[in-house]
Formats: sequence, structure tokens, C-alpha cells
Amino acid sequence: MKLPSWPGKKQQQLEKEIDSHLEMAKRDRVDRGETAQQAEAAARREFGNVALVQRTTREQWGWVWLEDCLQDLRYAARTMRRNAGLTLVAVLTLILGIGANTAIFSLVDGVLLRPLSFPRPDRLVFLTDYYPKGAFVVMRDQNLTMDLIANTDSTEFNLTGGDVPVRLTGTSVSANWFRVLGVQAAMGRTFQDGEDQPGKNGLVILSHSLWEQRYGSDPNIIGRSILLEGLSRQVVGVMAADFRYPSPKTELWVPLDLDPRQVGDYWGSSYMPITGRLHPQTTLQQANTDLTQQRPKVLAAFAWRMPNDSWIMGSVIPLQEAIVGGLRTSLLTLLGAVGLLLLIACANVANLLLARAAVRQKEIALRSALGASRWRIIRQLVSESVLMSMLGGALGLFAARYGLSLLKATLPADMPRLENVAVDIRVLLFTALLSILTGILFGLVPATGSSKVDLTEALKTGGDRTGRSGNNRLSRTLVIGEVAISVVLVIAAGLLVKSLWNLSNANPGFRAEYIVTARITPNPSFCKEAGRCQTFYNDLLARVRALPEVNDAAAVNGLPLGGSFATVPSDVEGYAVPAGAHVPMLMERVTTPDYLRVMGIPLLQGRAFTEADTAESAQRVALISKGTAERFWPGKNPIGAHFKPRWMREWWTIVGVVGDVHEHSMTRNLEDWLDGEIYTPYGPHAINDSGPEEPPVALTLVIRSSQAPKRFAGDLQSVVSQLKGDVPVTQIETLQGWLADAVAGPRSTASLFSVFAALALVLGAVGVYGVISYSVAQRTREIGIRMALGARRQEVLYLIVGHGAALAFAGVLIGLAGAFLLTRLMSSLLYGVGAADPETYFGVALLLVVVAIAASYLPARRAMRVDPVVALRYE
Amino acid sequence: MANRYQNRIELLQGTLDLLILQTLRWGPQHGYGISQAIRLNSGDILQVDTGSLYPALHRLERQKWIAADWKLSENKQRVRVYRLTAAGKKRLLSERSRWAQLSDAIAGVLEPVKKESEA
Repeated sequence: MKLPSWPGKKQQQLEKEIDSHLEMAKRDRVDRGETAQQAEAAARREFGNVALVQRTTREQWGWVWLEDCLQDLRYAARTMRRNAGLTLVAVLTLILGIGANTAIFSLVDGVLLRPLSFPRPDRLVFLTDYYPKGAFVVMRDQNLTMDLIANTDSTEFNLTGGDVPVRLTGTSVSANWFRVLGVQAAMGRTFQDGEDQPGKNGLVILSHSLWEQRYGSDPNIIGRSILLEGLSRQVVGVMAADFRYPSPKTELWVPLDLDPRQVGDYWGSSYMPITGRLHPQTTLQQANTDLTQQRPKVLAAFAWRMPNDSWIMGSVIPLQEAIVGGLRTSLLTLLGAVGLLLLIACANVANLLLARAAVRQKEIALRSALGASRWRIIRQLVSESVLMSMLGGALGLFAARYGLSLLKATLPADMPRLENVAVDIRVLLFTALLSILTGILFGLVPATGSSKVDLTEALKTGGDRTGRSGNNRLSRTLVIGEVAISVVLVIAAGLLVKSLWNLSNANPGFRAEYIVTARITPNPSFCKEAGRCQTFYNDLLARVRALPEVNDAAAVNGLPLGGSFATVPSDVEGYAVPAGAHVPMLMERVTTPDYLRVMGIPLLQGRAFTEADTAESAQRVALISKGTAERFWPGKNPIGAHFKPRWMREWWTIVGVVGDVHEHSMTRNLEDWLDGEIYTPYGPHAINDSGPEEPPVALTLVIRSSQAPKRFAGDLQSVVSQLKGDVPVTQIETLQGWLADAVAGPRSTASLFSVFAALALVLGAVGVYGVISYSVAQRTREIGIRMALGARRQEVLYLIVGHGAALAFAGVLIGLAGAFLLTRLMSSLLYGVGAADPETYFGVALLLVVVAIAASYLPARRAMRVDPVVALRYE
Repeated sequence: MANRYQNRIELLQGTLDLLILQTLRWGPQHGYGISQAIRLNSGDILQVDTGSLYPALHRLERQKWIAADWKLSENKQRVRVYRLTAAGKKRLLSERSRWAQLSDAIAGVLEPVKKESEA
């Protein structure tokens, strides 16, 4: 064994210098009459430790620290090459651990941590409520602490005038929107103050991709007019390619139409979120106080009297929090999961190194006998592990880039800020830091253990025979820890999968099988003339029903589970608004009479709609959901009771009660600001949001058919275009697909967790296998003696498997306790299953013990086949 | 052997530099020669540890007070020979005057003590 020599001339010279010193000393002694052998030994003794002298001398050269590091790394690289198999396993494990962490960190960084891409993003705030246009104008003009802006939630627009009418996602924004956000157009201009007034707002700004795809990047687009929703709008600007706000789907921006003469629209419907930019030196606290003080003024400005305590204003929170706050729990849970995965990987690699450290005992003893300090040896060993983890990190970065594209495909497409997620310099730094820390973590444990060397013991031949009990205890502890962490991860995954199962199998209140949907969106101008749209839809439904693939068809203003709907602030007969509460906000479904039948929504009481209800002369009737009946008429019969929109005189009569439908999401029937759900018949007595009595313009067809949607999408398109050429048909898909989209978030979390849990399980099993194999190898002699003394092979098998099972059992117990503490943090992600679900806990515990027994079975078989004669000779 | 070690005196921090520079004043010398010269000139009392000598030589070399060349010894062996530089000579002067001050000071401190203990 030769220590790595200092490379380079200077080291050689130092060696020669010392050699000449020794040579001269020897010669002097020989001259004095000593024998050559005596002289040589005496000269060396007098000189002292050559290596130490070299080292202290080298320290005078400067840069020693760095050069030592380089030397350590060079030596480490050589050791790694010599142990190629071990290095491969360790690096693969680290690629998994570091790669997964890098991918999830880039997700967390891009979505949660990175500031919004606006100037001074920290000054942007969000008001946690929805406000009508009138309220926005009052607040914008009177607020003292913020510049307020408003934009509608994503709205859809018909773009006609081309070959095929298309439906685009856009948003209506207040004229000061771009200015306050601090965003400029890439070409042309953004809106100027006042351009949200009626008569001045016939403008549009295009997204870069719309300009590129639809208008072939026409450099003369500015000033041209395009037809949106049947109205001509002048293009004033094109945004930069990376500007997609408020939604990644946004293709165009139009000014709001702030027209106080449209009383219903201005005060009643078109509720929008409001964003603000805090004035300099204004705090969130002041903004909140100001908002509360404004409240009476806003309420007083309403077109109709709002009870003073009827409407609670939202509070002011940072905009970033508003956009991504809802994702925090699931993202941080994912980060926690990959963090645990990395710990398992570290424990595995540490165990590998521990096993090897036992083999290297003599080398280390020799190095320390030659004068290497304990710190020097630890540094050498840690250099090796850091080099290993850097290698794992570098390759893990590639794995993460690949994994990230898979990850993005798994995540729900509408996840905010997903477009920000990429492996960039921040992620690179994170990975580098993580790799170094990881290397120190898994290297330090075995290194501190190994550097405590009992020289005489270690240097004695065969001193290694029994192994080192200290290291054995350490590696057992590591495996127990690994199993415990695996238990936590697998339990978390189990809970998420179980709640996904519950979600997917929850009764949504309707039957989704064999239903195909299609969104029909004529221009609003087409429906201005009374009855024209009604005739169009009646004809359309008749023709669709006549298609050979179609069994039945109906129409509704929006699909359950997050489709669009109308909202009607109402007076409910016999219901007094409690102090502090707001007026009942009723969600309205406008349906053709056969909607309930096609969707399989049960009629619980009273009657359903008939064709007669759709006539101009018919009585105003409505259905309510079961939950609504229980809310407003608890224990009473709601049939025959009345309600009316707040701004109208006419009362609607309730004629029936239907089953509850998951209108909002799989976990909630209605959004929490809604108090009930009403159904009105499609016809002249439908309530158009807070506007007048008129049928909605856009409807979604629900078509019962046993055929796949693509089989008759073409037929559907041609039926519509025969009736009217400029009506886009979109969202042709199965209702089951829509249902699946509704659980896309939970599904992606559950599938990611399942992957992590599977990795944890594999790594855990490898860990148990490694430790048991190693202990079998160490105990070969002991097993041989046992067998020579008459132990049966069966007993040896039990001995070894029992060892593995005992480790697993200890790990499982700790893991169960850990899971009990940790899974509580994710209870908001669970549905229909408790964070301490006994079934999951028991199942996972059993699974882990079985896996551990299987992992120890292989080495146990090896132990069983030990030949006592060979084993006892084995030295 | 034990006797020899007992008679050895630990060199004061910094005095080794002085001794090396002073030794080189008589002409260029290699490391072994320097250690032998110091031992002989101190009547076997000052024994320079190689673990101190070589680091000191390399440090002085880095500070450019001494310079080193490879030369052939009388036994036809390549040896590294150190010599005093101009900067080294200046350094030696200042080290010597510092040492003179120091020994005067120490002597001043020791004298009265000695008298008292005799009395």
C-alpha cells in the first residue's frame, strides 16, 4: 500500500532533498565507524516521520488546503474506479434521490417561490372576494391605499371572419390594468385610462401566439379590426410571447364595459376579482383598514338598497398568495416526500460505505500509523462520498430534466404558473448544494466510525474476522430508519390513492356514462331578437336527436363540476336574512325539459319541467336541489313556495325538488359563497344572471350515445354549421372525461406519491438485503460452527430471516408512529379517509414486513447452504 | 541517548529563522549541513528537529530571504543548497538586533532575581 504521492516537480524535489539528507547523515555515521545497516536505521530514526516532515513542509508552500482537496478527490476517483460495482449502485441510488428532489424543487420554485414576473411584484395584492363592476368603480376611485384593477375570470369569445369560427379564451380588464401591473405591449400599445367606458371600448389586445398562429405574425395587424362575439374590435396591441395572465390559456384582452345604465349587469352580475398595487409606503394592514372603511360607501352606491350587514368585504392578501396559495400544501407535501426519499437513498449509500469501510480497515489503520490525523482520514473518506454524490447530482440533473417533462404532463394543465417551471440556474445551485450536503451526510456517518481505529487490533492478521460491532450497530440503525421512512411514504401514498378512489367513485349526483358533451356558443347579438335563439336550439336538438348515433339529447347552460353557471341574488319567501349574513346567492341551471332525464338526476318531489313551461305565457316555475330545500325550508314542503331575483318584481314558484349534484367539485356540491341551487326552464322565463328575463346565449348539449365522441364530432359540427355558419362547437368530449378532469389534481398527487412510495419500497428492500447479506458474509464462520454443532439448515434460515424481520419490525413500529404524526399535515388533501386510517396503516405495516422478509430470504438461503467444513477453514 | 535529549533545548519560536540565516552567512549550505552546523556550533545543545527545519527552510525561501539551487556535493550527490539573498542579509541584521534586545531584556529580568536567591 503506497500513499498517493504528491504530483509534480516540487514534491519530487522535496523527496530528493530528504533522501540526500538521510544519505549524508548515514555517511557521517559510517565515517564514525557504524555499520551501514546501523547507520541507515539511526539516520532514519533521527530524521523522524518522513511523511509528516513532507506534509508540514508542503504546508509552507501555500494553497495546501486546496491542493489537499484535489489530492483527496483524485484519490477518491481512483477508489471509486476500483470499486466500480459499489460505485454504480451508489450513484444510481443518488441519481434517483437527487433527481427526484431536483425535479420537485424546480416545480416548487417555479410555482410557489419565484416572485411574479411583474415589476415590484411584492406590492401587488388581491382582494379575497368578487365584486360587481359598480363596486369596482367606486372602490377604484376612492381607495387611498392602492391602485385597483379588475379583470374577469377567463371568458370565452367567438372569433369569426375566418374559415372556421373559433372559440378563444380571453379576459375583460379595466383600462388601467396593464399600466398598474406594469406591463407593456410588444407591439402597439396597451389600454389607456378611460377606454373601459361604453363607446370607447371597441378594442382588443392579442397574445403573441394568437397573432402568430391566426394572423401569420402580420406586422400590420395594429389598427386592423377583428370580429369578436359578432362585434368589431380594433387591434391596438400584441403582447410579448411570455405574457399569459391571468390564465396560461389567455389569448386576448378586451376592455371592460363599465356602463352604469346597464343596471343589472353593472351592479348585479359579472362579479370579478379585484387586484391592487399598494401605494409606496403603504402596508397590507393599512390597505385592509382602508377597505373596511370604504365598505359603507360602496354599499350606499348600489342601485338597490343593500342591507348594511348583507355583504362582507374581502380582505387584502398578497397576489402571489392568492394565485398559488391553494397549491402550497400539495407541493410542500411532495417536496417532503422526495426529501424523505433522499434520506432513504442516503441511508442506503451510507450502508454500502460502512460495509466497505470494514474491508478498508487495514488501509485506514496504515494511513493513521503513517501519521495521518483523524481529521485527515475523515476528510479523505468524506471527499469520496462527496465526489460520489456530485456525480449522482450531475446525472440526477439530467434525470430531473427528463422527469420534469413527465411531471408537467402528469400535473393538471390548468395549474397556475406551470409555464415558469424549468431547470435553470437556481435549480442548478440547489442541486449542487444538495449534492454536497448529501455527500457529507452519507459520508460522515461511516467516516467518523471508521476513523476511530485501534491500530494494533486492525493491523493484526485476521483481526477483521469478527467484523466491527460498532459499524454493525450503525448499519442496523440505518436500515431501521430506512424502513421507517418507507413506511411513512407508503402510508402517505396509500392514503392519497384511497382518497382518489373515494373521489372517483363518489356519486356526483348524475350518471356520466354514455354522455357526450358539446358547447354551442352563438354570438350574443344573434340572440338579441326574442325567440331567435330558442328556435335555433330547438331545431338543433331535434336534428341532433335524429342523428343515428344519438339516443337522447338535452341542453343546459353549463356542466356540473365546474362548468359555467348563472348566479341570482334572491329574496326567498319566508326566509329572513340573519344579521351579518348576505342575501341568498342562488346558482342557476337553465335546462331544457329533458335535462334531468338525460343526466339521470333524480326528481325527488313535485314535477319536472314540461314543454309548456318554456312558453312566453307560462307561469314562472323553478326546481330546487335537495340541499337548497333543506337549507331554506327545513322540515317543510317547499313545493309552491316562491323566490325572486332581488331586482325584479315577479316571483318564481317552486314546482319540484331534485337530487343534489356535485356542481362545484367532487368534494363540494356548491362553491361556499353560494347558498342554493335552482333550475329554470330554457325559455323566456330563464333568468340571465342578474340581467333581465331572457334565455342564456351559450348552451352545452348533453347527448346520450353509446358511440365515442370522435365518431360523430363531424356530424355534430355539420349539423350546427347547416343551421348557422358562424357558431363554434367546442368541448366535444365524454362526460366521464370531464369527470376525470375534475379529479386531475388529486390524481396527479396520488400518482406522484405512488411512484415515490414504490421507489422508497425498492430502496428499503435493497437496504435490508444489503445489511443481511453483509451480516451473513460476516457470520459465515459462526454459521459453520452452529451447523457443525448440529443446527439444522431450517434453523439457520429462520435465524437469518428472523434477523431481517426483526429489523423490519422495529422500522415499521417507528414508521407507524412517524406516519401518525406526519400524515396529519396532509389531511386537507384527503377525502373520505382519515389521516390515521387503520386499514392503510395495517396493510402497509404488513407489506413492509413481507418485503423485508423477502429481501432477507435470498441471503438466508445462501447461509443455509454454508458447508461447515469450508466455513471453518475460511479465514 | 536519554541524556542527549535532556540536554536539548527547545528553540524559541522564531529563533530558528535567526539561526538558519546566521549559519548561511558563512556560505551556502544544504539542510543536513545547516542542522549539523547548528548542533556543532551550540556544542551539541541545540538539536534542530527536521520537522521544524525543512518547513522553516521552505518558508524562508518563499519569503525570498534565502534561495535554493541544486548542486553536486563532494560525494557526487545532488543536494539542495541554500544561500542568503540580499533581502535575507537585511533580515538577518534586524533579527540579530532584535535578538540582542531580547537577550538584554531577559538578562535584565534575570539578574535581580539571581541576586535575591543568592542572598
